[in-house]
Amino acid sequence: MGNSKHLGLYLLAPAGIFVILFFLAPVILTGIFGFTNMSTATGITGGSYMVSESSMRPLRSHFGEEALADQLMQRVYTIDEAGLQAAAEAGGDAAAIRELEARFLGQSFDRRRDVEVAIKSLNARPSSTRAIKLISAEFERSVVNTRFDTPEEMLAAIAGFGIVLNNAQTEALVDVAYTGWTFTTQNFKTMLELPDTKKTLINTLFYVFATLILFNTGFALVLSISTHYMPSRPAGFFRSIWLLPRVTPPVLYVLMWKWLAWDTGFLSVILEPLGFAPRNWMLDTPANAWTFIILINGIVGASMGMLIFSSAIKAIPPALFHASEVDGATRRQQIWHIILPQLRWPILFITIYQTLSLLTSFEYILLATDGGPGGATEVWALSTYLKALSNYGGALQYGYGAALSLVLVVIGISVSLIYLKLFDFKNLTAPPKIE
Amino acid sequence: MRILLDKFTKNFGDLTVIDEMDLEVHDGEMVALLGGSGCGKSTTLFAICGIHKVNGGRILFGDRDVTNITSQERNVGVVFQSFALYPHMDVAHNIGFPLKLRKETSTEIQRKVDEIAEMVHIGPLLKRRPGELSGGQQQRVALARALIRRPDVLLLDEPLANLDATLRLEMRSEIRRIQRETGITAVLVTHDQVEAMSMCDRIAIMDAGKILQITEPSDMYNNPVSDYVAGFLGSPPISFLTGIIQNGSFIEPATGAKIPVRKAIAGSHAGREVRVGIRPEYYQPDKGVMIKGTVSMIEAQGRETLYVVTLPDGNILRSIQGSHSPVKIGDAVNWGIDAEHMLVFDKDGLLI
Repeated sequence: MGNSKHLGLYLLAPAGIFVILFFLAPVILTGIFGFTNMSTATGITGGSYMVSESSMRPLRSHFGEEALADQLMQRVYTIDEAGLQAAAEAGGDAAAIRELEARFLGQSFDRRRDVEVAIKSLNARPSSTRAIKLISAEFERSVVNTRFDTPEEMLAAIAGFGIVLNNAQTEALVDVAYTGWTFTTQNFKTMLELPDTKKTLINTLFYVFATLILFNTGFALVLSISTHYMPSRPAGFFRSIWLLPRVTPPVLYVLMWKWLAWDTGFLSVILEPLGFAPRNWMLDTPANAWTFIILINGIVGASMGMLIFSSAIKAIPPALFHASEVDGATRRQQIWHIILPQLRWPILFITIYQTLSLLTSFEYILLATDGGPGGATEVWALSTYLKALSNYGGALQYGYGAALSLVLVVIGISVSLIYLKLFDFKNLTAPPKIE
Repeated sequence: MRILLDKFTKNFGDLTVIDEMDLEVHDGEMVALLGGSGCGKSTTLFAICGIHKVNGGRILFGDRDVTNITSQERNVGVVFQSFALYPHMDVAHNIGFPLKLRKETSTEIQRKVDEIAEMVHIGPLLKRRPGELSGGQQQRVALARALIRRPDVLLLDEPLANLDATLRLEMRSEIRRIQRETGITAVLVTHDQVEAMSMCDRIAIMDAGKILQITEPSDMYNNPVSDYVAGFLGSPPISFLTGIIQNGSFIEPATGAKIPVRKAIAGSHAGREVRVGIRPEYYQPDKGVMIKGTVSMIEAQGRETLYVVTLPDGNILRSIQGSHSPVKIGDAVNWGIDAEHMLVFDKDGLLI
């Protein structure tokens, strides 16, 4: 009982934990990941040190160490205890192995053929080529594709092959051989360099503002104002109809649009007799794709604005409508001089809210065009998703994706601030002066 | 311009609120529609200004039939109970709004706004928003907006209901002054008989969608057509007693007091039950037909004092007296009714 003042905190604790786990932590991690080169290749835990085909590539191209790379990639064949034992375990001829140990232990060969020549020279040489190859395979020694936990281990192994490195070479090798992720600002440089970035940005702005202006506020205003002037029953009916897309499962909703648009779909069927060849109307041209994307998003998005604006219009005192009527205002003048000025705050709210949700939402685009045709409808959020979480080749660039989404956050915040300025937020939220 | 309602009928769904009402407001006259809530007075006003559609009958402004004309085209000025000022416009824009809708030039609008603002005494407030005005100032702005385009008629819907007592007094005379100055035909809707009596040339008293009586305030006070009208007008209100006419007098049943009535009444209603109404100013200590009772309440109203006297059967009489007499609650008194001014109503409540 003495602790009852903390009761609220306890009750809020589950919510707090969820907020931290599913909101704050991802946001902070995204911020951090944006400055790393994390990808499927690097993994998300720490890496190891490895000389490989791919790590040698930057060594050649970036550091110009062609010779060193060739040297590192070389394989040698050494007859040693470990090899003999492995050959025995692999089922190699026991007599041959014993003789090989006696005559060649400690010798190295540059090529596998040389090892095989040595084996063939044995008295107890195996009869088949296959049996010879079985033994020779076990003596291949190389640093290639061997994982080392520390750079020292890797350098020691390389030294064991008689390869001598100077300081610059050591540094370069350690750098390229590391397979884990590192902190870098490369993501943002890449973003600025890639021509796709600009195109995605333009796509995003077009998508957001076209949908917002045409549907989420524009059409929502048309709906709410026109239903305001209707008798209440039909008005309620129309409002419920426009709510239906909102309560339809998005996958089914988009599927219906696809049925409408694809080459054996409704549009193709009714347009064919009119001389239009059947085609996938949605993906036919970028303009078509955009038309569908904006319709699909807008028809869902208009319902929220419609609800908010309708209730805001209902909140305008009827006397104001009566007064403007007897003052001589036509419907058009009433909308312009009475309704719209009173809707400034809801319009601001819807504009900000829908801008942010359009900026970050890509599910309808993903389902409808998946960014196509040819990336024409790829918006920032979708691009982020594809880069970070759903790459076709399976190479997921977590770090680059996180950097992209960081930029999206910055865009979202700046746009909101611009809106607040445009709508004169301070005046809007001043305490009401009329009761 | 005169207003004529000719067999005006208004339904809300199946409910007939006003049935074949006739009303004529003369040119330049101010008429009050007086009645309790739900009597149809606001409905009538909204029909005159065109906000409500009419279900039957005609409405004429002058000789022009405006029955089926929208409110936008009727040229009426309305002051609403809530004033209905546009909160997002300053005072000048509120007042100039009707002119702006008619696409008058801004210099013309400004000239007219200044002129009307001068008349309603709000010159210095033109740049303020409605939210920054007091109730009385808002009232003046609403009045200015209603008058600026020189409407054919001015309609006032409970214009004083939202004001405090002192402002009400002030605006009462202000509205009347402005109405007189402009010579505009005006209809005032109110539930307050004092407002109706003090502001208007004539009062139309309404009940259940019907006009019971329409006449000048003093005439209505002195010669109400029915007990309902008599009860509505006058403050403190009239008191009623029920009894029988016998031998040329009304017999008060509790005390047996005989109050003489006019010969005509004595003849036509002999032996019949009637209802008499006695206004507080006609029940006084020293004259008339004495009637005994007990003082049950005393209300000091400043200049005057109201006494409520309970008769033996529980009926009450009210007396308003100029000087404070020494009676206390519980005292037995024997005060007199001025038979001359006693109103006599028949069983159906109509004045005889």
